[in-house]
Order: sequence, then structure tokens, then C-alpha cells
Amino acid sequence: MSAHLELRGLTRRHDPDGPAALDSLDLDVLPGACVALLGPSGSGKTTALRLAAGLDVPDAGAVLLDGRDAAGVPPERRSTSMVFQRPLLFPHLSVLDNVAFSARVAGRSKRGARQDAQTYLDLVQLGGYGTRGAHELSSGQAQRVALARALAARPAVLLMDEPFSALDAALREDMHVLLGQLRAELQPTILLVTHDPLEAAALADTVAVLHAGRLQQHAPTGELYTRPSTLRVARLLGGRNEVAGTVTRGAHRSAFGPVPTTLPDGPAVLVVRQEAVALAAPGGPEPQARVQDVRPYGPRLLVTVRKDDGELLVEVPPGRPVSVDDPVGVTLVDPWVVPLLSLPAGEAG
Amino acid sequence: MALTTAAHPSVRRTRTRPRRVERALRGLRGWSGLLHLGLGVWFLLPLVPLLLWAVADRWSFPASLPQDYGLSGWRGALDQGAASALGRSLLLGLAVAGLAAPAGALAARGLVLGRVPLPGLVGAALLAPIAFPAFAVALGLDVLLIRTGVANLVGVVLLLAVAAIPYTTYTMRVAFGAYDLAYEDEARTLGATRRQVLLRVQLPMLAPALSGAAFLAFLVAWSDYVVTLLIGGGQVVTLPLVVASAASAIGNEAVVATTSLTAVLPPLVLLVLVRLLGRRRAA
Repeated sequence: MSAHLELRGLTRRHDPDGPAALDSLDLDVLPGACVALLGPSGSGKTTALRLAAGLDVPDAGAVLLDGRDAAGVPPERRSTSMVFQRPLLFPHLSVLDNVAFSARVAGRSKRGARQDAQTYLDLVQLGGYGTRGAHELSSGQAQRVALARALAARPAVLLMDEPFSALDAALREDMHVLLGQLRAELQPTILLVTHDPLEAAALADTVAVLHAGRLQQHAPTGELYTRPSTLRVARLLGGRNEVAGTVTRGAHRSAFGPVPTTLPDGPAVLVVRQEAVALAAPGGPEPQARVQDVRPYGPRLLVTVRKDDGELLVEVPPGRPVSVDDPVGVTLVDPWVVPLLSLPAGEAG
Repeated sequence: MALTTAAHPSVRRTRTRPRRVERALRGLRGWSGLLHLGLGVWFLLPLVPLLLWAVADRWSFPASLPQDYGLSGWRGALDQGAASALGRSLLLGLAVAGLAAPAGALAARGLVLGRVPLPGLVGAALLAPIAFPAFAVALGLDVLLIRTGVANLVGVVLLLAVAAIPYTTYTMRVAFGAYDLAYEDEARTLGATRRQVLLRVQLPMLAPALSGAAFLAFLVAWSDYVVTLLIGGGQVVTLPLVVASAASAIGNEAVVATTSLTAVLPPLVLLVLVRLLGRRRAA
């Protein structure tokens, strides 16, 4: 159930004259690992998944399963089950027969297939729902059944395309816990597509960030948050702070003080998570700034502070009163410097 | 605070709306009851004399009810070959349904998935048999069929299938419009071959629409008179031909009534079957 999935230089152009939906993607998913493909819509992540499943054919590059090139192998012989955003339970089959589908098409007897399916229904904690029709389930239950159905096919690689994004927040959390349990039990190799950094962080061992068909960075989630390779990655993971400045003599210099970096001399951008900026009492040794704006953000406050021409957004925990025009000291926890983004023509932001 | 003010109006609404809605519904129920009754009378009244004639041995003007009851109408119908015509009509209907439903399904799939060049033109061509009078088409094709030596029965089946394809295509276009190809992708990744996808996913999911389309095609063949008469050359005697020939003679009312009633029954049975199938799918 755990194969090694490798994508090598995978390229796909939907329109021969248009830009590539996926541009030379190299990605390794080790046996039993879970890798998330993270990107905005249109970044090519679903294309990558369909190419891996054999539902689409690459214009260049290869999909390797345990080292063997899968070119020309039809989807049904790849052993790559897919879970889509919608459960897509077959409406003419009962819940149990949905889960037994893969065993039935593989030629197993109805009875054997159903026995096997029951095990997987139990695994997703819906053991008593086998006789129901597909439409008699809630959306969360239906997605659990879809997951059981995909796992019952004992896939070499489990492919998941935004599997939980149609569920509400509480159900999504439940599904994250369930997927964690299933991973511990079955160790499937998983390639997961999501646009939600929080989901990627909750589920995956490593996250590959895609933008406009190109891989931006592939790293453990924590590293993506604190050590983004580009401004795009920082933005995609919800980073809100970008302070322009210049690198000279091994440090980025801006209104908020010098930050060591290995980047070459020249213009560069300081990024720091809004969660990783602390406000201190005024008059200390920290850079001094003034509060420009205060907005409630759940139990926290989103505070904008300004120093000279530099602005920072700060997430302030509850219990610290802040008002506009307050003088404050600003401490940057773990700041990081990325190169200035060179935008292709026609792309704004 | 915001929550409570938002909740109030909706609470009040749920209290008052049902009463208002109920009142409106009750009014509608009065009118719609009358409407239902009217429509029922309109549709069913013509069947009353038909039913009476079917069991009447003698019913002459000005009596409002038959004077003698009996089964002479049924005997007359049997004598005029209604039984074999019924069988022939059934076979013709099934053959046309068997051709037109799959053809319509294929055309609809191609049109809906955009795999047909010039879809507007093709769609219009598929609907053309409805636009042209059957008489003109049949008369024109009769010559062609005779020259090419196509057997009468084959000609009738082919022509009626063409006449039925607009209906089956339309029905299946609607069905394919609501059908999600992602089901097929899902089935493929679960290990189903193309053939298995067709047999285990596509056909079962489209079965209600397909049976509806087949029913329409069956009706086209079942009720046809012109094409069967012209192309069949009088050799393909179906139920409508028997009804028509009985109706063209005087004093045959009982035979017309029995053959007409016989013609109503098979489609009714089929309709019930189709509905049952649809309901089982939906359940």
C-alpha cells in the first residue's frame, strides 16, 4: 500500500500555444509519506494529481511508481486511488457496495468484496452504515465513505484533490484526525492537493508550493513559514509583512534594523510572520514605532505599526490593550530575508 | 447584541409565515382541486364511450347506454387479425426503441461533451425529423427504399428509428447534462476498465433516462400510421392499421373500441415499469 512516487520533469500544456499548466515539476513522495501540493487555483496542482493518476497524459516528463515509468499504464492499472473534493459515491450502489467497488471490478465475489469493504467502513467509523444509500449520508459521512472506498482499493499511492475543502471547519478537523489515524494504521503514500496552508500543515510531512505551474519550494511546513524561499511562498502561506530594504555587508537594512542574511548585496525584502512580531513598552532598546490601525481578529488584535516608511502587521494576543497613536517598541522574532520578487509582465502582486 | 437582534425577526417570521402560507395554499388547493377535476374529466371522458362500446353488442341511436352487452367487438377484432397486429406492433416498438435509444444516447454524449464538430448544425439535423411532415419524408424515401431493395419491415424500422431519434437525443442530452464525468474518473482510479465503467457506472446511472428515452421511441413506433402504411406497403400490419381499417368501415364501432383499448394498454404497462425503475433509482 506504500509505493515510492516520483514525478520527474512533469510538464502539461492544455493549450499548445498557452502557458504550461504544469512546468517541469520534480517531486518525490517517499513510501508512507504524505506530501501536500499547495497553491492557489490555477497553479497546476490538480493537473499534477491527474497526471500521477493517469487521467491525463504529460507533454513531457515521467511519473515513476517504485522506480517504474508509468507512461502508457492506464489509470485502472496504476493502483493510484483518488479522493476528490466531492465524495462522488455511486448513487446506484449502497454504501457498502461503494466501498466494495474496487474488489468487485477486480473480479472478487460479491460476498468476499463486501466482507473486505466492511473492514474499511469500520476503519472510518461508519461500520453500521453499509446498507444505506449514498444520498442518505451527511457530507462528512459521504467523504469518509469515499476515503474508505479509496483505501479499500489498497492503492500504491493515495491521491487526494482538496478532499476536505467542501466540509465545514469542525468536520474538516474531524477528517484531519481520522486521516492521521489511518496513516498510523495503514501507512499509505499520500499526495494531497490543497489551497489551505493550515490543512497542508495539519496533514502533510512536507509541503510543495506551486505557483503558475512551477514548484517554488518543497520543505517541511514549519520551514515554509519561517524560511520561505520567495516572496510568493511567504504570501501563499499567509505572511502579511514585507519590508523593503537593502542588503549590504551581510545584513538587510530597513526601518526595523539590520537582519543578517546570506543574500548578495542589493535590494531585498524582509519577511516576518505577523504572529512573530512582539510589541514592547516604548523607550526600550527595540526599534520604536507608532500604532497606525487596530482591528479585532477573533480573540486577537491585528495591529498595524509604522516606523518611518516601514509598516508591519502584528497579531497581538488578548489582554494587551492597544490604541491608535500609541508609541510601541517592536521586536522581530525570527525575521527572514527573501529576494525582491521580479514580476513577469502583466502580473500584479 | 448583534446576534440577538438578528435572531428576532427570523423567529417571528417562522411563527407567522406558515399560517400565511397555509392560507394561500388552502386557496390554491380549492382552485387546483377544480382544475384537477376538470382535467380528469377532459382526459377520461372520451374513454367512457370507448369502454362501453368494447362490451356492447348493440348500441343504436338514440339510446344513451348499450341495449345489448357482449363480446362481439373482441371476437370481431380477433377475426380482423388484431392479435397478430398487436404482436407486430410490440416487436416494431421494441426494435425502434432498441435502435433509437442507444443512438440518441451516443449523439447526446457527443454533443454534451463537445466532441462533435459544428454541434449547432448537428443538433438541428438531429431534430429535423420532427420539423418535416412524416408523410413527405415517407413518400420521398419510399421510392428510394424500393430501388435499393430494402425489405419493407426493415425500412419501417429504420425510418421510425430516425423519427424517434430527436426525442431520445433530447431526453439523453438533459440526462448527460446532469451527469458528472468525474464519476468515471473515480471508477477508473478504483481499478475499473473502460468497459467496466460503462457497465457498472455509466449505464446504471443513466438507466432511468435511458428507459425514458426508450419509452418515447417505443411510443413513436407504436402509434405510427403514415410511415408503416407507406413504407410497409400494406405488408407490415400493425395495430394502428387495424384500428384505422376498422374505423373506415361503418358499423364497426365495437371493433374500433376494443382494438383502441388494446392499443392503450401496453404503453401504460411500460410507463408504469419505467416509473417504477426511476423511483427505485431515486430511492
